[in-house]
Amino acid sequence: MKKIKDFINKADIRRFRFWLQLFFFILFIYGGYFSINLGNSIPVFSCGYDKEVGGMCYFLPLQHQLARPLDVLFSVASISVLIGFVTFLVWFIVFNKAWCGYACPLGTMQDWLTGLRKKLGIRYSTYTQPQFDKLKKIKYILLAIVILAPMAVGMGLLGGEWRTAFCSICPGRMITPLFVGDVSQWSLDFSTKSAMILTTLGLVFTGLFVVGSFIKKRFFCFFCPMSAMHYIFSDAALLKLKKDGDKCTKCGDCYTVCDMQIKDIADDVKSTNILRDDCILCMKCVAACPEDDVLHVDFINYPIFKSTKGGFAKRMQMDELEKKDD
Amino acid sequence: MTKEMREHKIETPKEKQNRHKAMEAKTVLQKIKHEFKEPPKAMDYFYNLYESVHCRHEPLHNDKIKVGTMCIQVPAEIVYALDAVPIRLCNGFYTDDEIGSDFLPSKACPLVKATVGQFASDNFSDKPDIVISPTTCDQKAKSGAIIEEMGYKLFDMEFPRTKESEESREYWRRSVRKFTKELSTDLGKKITRKKLKEAIKKVGYAQHLYHKLNVLRKNIATPILGVDMFLVTNAFFFDKIDNWIEAVDALVQECEQRVEDEFSAAHKRSPRIVYTGSPPIFPNLKVPLLIELSDAIIVADETCSSNRMFNDMVSVDEWFVNDMIDSVADRYLKGCTCPIFTKNEDRKRRIIDLVKDYKADGVVYQAFAGCQVYEMEQRSVLDAMEKEGIPIIYLESDYSPSHMGQLTTRIEAFVESLKNRRRKR
Ligand code: SF4
Ligand code: SF4
Ligand code: SF4
Ligand code: SF4
Ligand code: SF4
Repeated sequence: MKKIKDFINKADIRRFRFWLQLFFFILFIYGGYFSINLGNSIPVFSCGYDKEVGGMCYFLPLQHQLARPLDVLFSVASISVLIGFVTFLVWFIVFNKAWCGYACPLGTMQDWLTGLRKKLGIRYSTYTQPQFDKLKKIKYILLAIVILAPMAVGMGLLGGEWRTAFCSICPGRMITPLFVGDVSQWSLDFSTKSAMILTTLGLVFTGLFVVGSFIKKRFFCFFCPMSAMHYIFSDAALLKLKKDGDKCTKCGDCYTVCDMQIKDIADDVKSTNILRDDCILCMKCVAACPEDDVLHVDFINYPIFKSTKGGFAKRMQMDELEKKDD
Repeated sequence: MTKEMREHKIETPKEKQNRHKAMEAKTVLQKIKHEFKEPPKAMDYFYNLYESVHCRHEPLHNDKIKVGTMCIQVPAEIVYALDAVPIRLCNGFYTDDEIGSDFLPSKACPLVKATVGQFASDNFSDKPDIVISPTTCDQKAKSGAIIEEMGYKLFDMEFPRTKESEESREYWRRSVRKFTKELSTDLGKKITRKKLKEAIKKVGYAQHLYHKLNVLRKNIATPILGVDMFLVTNAFFFDKIDNWIEAVDALVQECEQRVEDEFSAAHKRSPRIVYTGSPPIFPNLKVPLLIELSDAIIVADETCSSNRMFNDMVSVDEWFVNDMIDSVADRYLKGCTCPIFTKNEDRKRRIIDLVKDYKADGVVYQAFAGCQVYEMEQRSVLDAMEKEGIPIIYLESDYSPSHMGQLTTRIEAFVESLKNRRRKR
């Protein structure tokens, strides 16, 4: 048992993550070809506009379901809404935000763009802290759009094109179908003025998505309303990111590698549950923490991956001297 | 002429200084070597190293450019990546302290005085080609200017005095980038990705070895004395890093064997001490020696001449030059528990954690008379320990060989009280 634990704690999580991400990418994007269907309450952006989707992003059905007149929405007729939501919760609660770090196709695409940038030898950029503090709020505004726009349609306040307002501007809608050779989403909808504005915004956001995540790690995730939605329920999750602040030296190693620039991960020595709203539970911080047992990922209070001195040294290739060949 | 007659020729001031320093060094080495149980065989490397450098004043780095550093915040990784060697100039010699007294206020810190004293006498076995002075405590920062006036090439490296804010992090990162650029221009060397990565890994490996050795001290049968550990860590100030690595590697293996054999460097009942405060720098190992001669053992320390030098590691996400430099910068700021910062919660937490982790019985807090920052922090640390129920003693000392009696009495009494406390439990 100790050996297995040791092995896991010293594991090269980058490789593990790469393969897992690839697996989920294929599962979600191409699942249809293998007649896989994990339902349509998946808590990440595995886009429903992809015809072969192996499990659909919860936002698409959610928006459709919310676009009903209020009296219908809150009647027994909407039991399916509740079921959809409960399924979403169940999925989410098991893996928490690790959905983002390991399974979300849109997240994976961003990581691949990062990989491409690295191959080209270009350095990443970051947000400054004040920028960061402002930008991170956008996701809550977007979440409000996800929920309120369809409800307004249901109440007759907005036109039908607002039913899936968020999807219209979501980069997932345009990019994901490309992977199954479908370019039909790449057009502007001129039917109404607001449809035109929304689809134009969609195009702009898609462009931003690609350029942004090329230069900035996980650029889009800062704004992602799904991430905001996750955070509301993350306290109840079974998988947790935990910290033992007494042992933390505040060295900032975790913060340095965090794609989401979460400062609390290093500086907060009081909270034991250290998951923040932007976190994608990628566990890079755990892997980069050089102190024993400070950061750990727990499943129902059982630590499955812990920070260790030895693991750190191994991953940073500091556990042995490099053989000099010149 | 006979040999004797030649030896009677008048000693130059430098020779006299060296003779005095050699005497200081020898006395301490003798004590460490002979007044305790047999030290690990691998310690011989270090004893010989000190004899060569501090008694015989033999240079180690003739073929290299030497970058003198005034505090731990100067990134060794970058210096190594530029093909130079960092040499930490914090000085522990009373002989130099006396020389330095002429240049600084009488109440100044002996460490700073000794450092300035060495520059004033211009007597180095490995003379630094350039001196880097981080703006840490007031005395260090100001003595930089004094040293510069003596004609040395000196670079002030701006260091923030708060560390929590993102602004200070950015400020320090910029400072490190500027330092890298200027040093690289000055030495006419370009910093490359490969070189920097190699340097980071090598220093990382040295730290990794230190950690391996250090955690062995958690064992109830602690395999190595605190004074020996101070020699090992102090040697990192000036030794060739490859040699140091090799020696510590051997030491780790030997100590691992000792742990297996349950061989303790002290006695079973010796109280376990965490040492904190002004840095003990060879040959000023006065207080650590007194502690261990009083039948206690130092099992961990929180000082910048030892643990703090090795503790925090560099973590890099993308191995590009700029990212590496930023990561290196973070290492020297974020985790640093130097008392020059405005707040020092981290230092208190660190000491408490060390006490728990290394199962220590008490803490010795030593400040140099004149080292304001440590003197000022003393109170809050004492309070914090009291809250945790950890016995602590506060000692003030300097480099002079006098006043030993009083120190000895206080330390012995403290050790005795720790023993009593243990018996009661
Ligand atoms: S467009 Fe975006 S929000 Fe809508 S289903 Fe696709 S991924 Fe989900
Ligand atoms: S935060 Fe990123 S990874 Fe998570 S659902 Fe949104 S896009 Fe996907
Ligand atoms: S890497 Fe670990 S020890 Fe360092 S700040 Fe983060 S949690 Fe604390
Ligand atoms: S805090 Fe840790 S798990 Fe969360 S995004 Fe940052 S590195 Fe990943
Ligand atoms: S305590 Fe701080 S200022 Fe003093 S010598 Fe050490 S690093 Fe320098």
